[in-house]
Amino acid sequence: MKQLSILAAGLLLSAGVLAGAADNVSVQDAYVRLAPPNAPATGAFMVIRNNGDKDVKMVKADNPVSQATELHTHLNEGGVMKMRPVPAIEIKAKGEAVLKPGGLHVMMIDLKAPLKEGDAVPITLTFDDGSSKQVDARVVRPTAAPAPTEHKKH
Amino acid sequence: MSERILSLVAGLLAALVIGLAIFWQPELPERPLPRAAMPEGGEFALQSADGPVSLSDFRGKVVLLYFGYTYCPDVCPTSLAATAEGLQQLMPDELARVAVLLVSVDPKRDTPARLKEYARFFHPVIVGVTGTPEEIAAVAERYGVFYAEQKVATAGDGYVVDHSADTYVVAADGKLAGRIAHATAPDQVAAIIRKHISPP
Repeated sequence: MKQLSILAAGLLLSAGVLAGAADNVSVQDAYVRLAPPNAPATGAFMVIRNNGDKDVKMVKADNPVSQATELHTHLNEGGVMKMRPVPAIEIKAKGEAVLKPGGLHVMMIDLKAPLKEGDAVPITLTFDDGSSKQVDARVVRPTAAPAPTEHKKH
Repeated sequence: MSERILSLVAGLLAALVIGLAIFWQPELPERPLPRAAMPEGGEFALQSADGPVSLSDFRGKVVLLYFGYTYCPDVCPTSLAATAEGLQQLMPDELARVAVLLVSVDPKRDTPARLKEYARFFHPVIVGVTGTPEEIAAVAERYGVFYAEQKVATAGDGYVVDHSADTYVVAADGKLAGRIAHATAPDQVAAIIRKHISPP
């Protein structure tokens, strides 16, 4: 009986551990920008909300349609845009990280095949505690608007 | 003895601090920056997929120049999409008086054919042009455009190009007339084009 309760406690504890950062994170407006012809790379953009009480870092993103996936940002230095990889994207407790053109983004490098408008790309986001979350990002044509979403469009 | 020296030093320091507090009026630097001189701009001749293109081919039109490249993953599509949407807001007679050139800052990888497909994706009016690295460097210098290769291990062929992300406006007389900042909204792009089509 005692052993059983220890086992139960252990299971509860591990469940608690497994319920990691990803469970407190919600992702909205995820989209992949349709790459123009001959462009070997494109960006994925989204709003990542952290509903938890602890800061969370997204340390990795992955997707099946490009050879490599990286987290990037842009620095605007006197009108010169410089794109640079970042080791992680932090999402503050009860805060959000906005990935948008000209700023933070998930970089999809060396597309295996050209994407089509309307395709859905499953992107796996991995957080600093090892938990991960998959989001489906729709492929949309590039627009000047910051984040095209279904409900804004229709 | 040493105590007297110490208190003397302390007194002097105190006097210095008080003196500074009373008499030191830091002059706040109010120096208006010298008005940034507009780069000279001017004529150039480069290659498109459909033959040579010179700026003077478009005399009488407002010409927008954007310096970018087809491997450009984010900034160029953002700028060009805004420009394209601005063009879509123009009336046909206005559009007929506008030309847009995408000048490659990556002449090593961008061919005229690559640029053509890339540019057309955004708007049929946009023409992609490139040249030898020397020709591109000369044009960029005269238009005040910065660009530099930057090694990124996983980027296509190992580098991206940092570059000025403004769009340059050349007036109908061929003179460089202004710049449109990166991420300017399409309706503002359209308004700027209109202003230059019909100057007051």
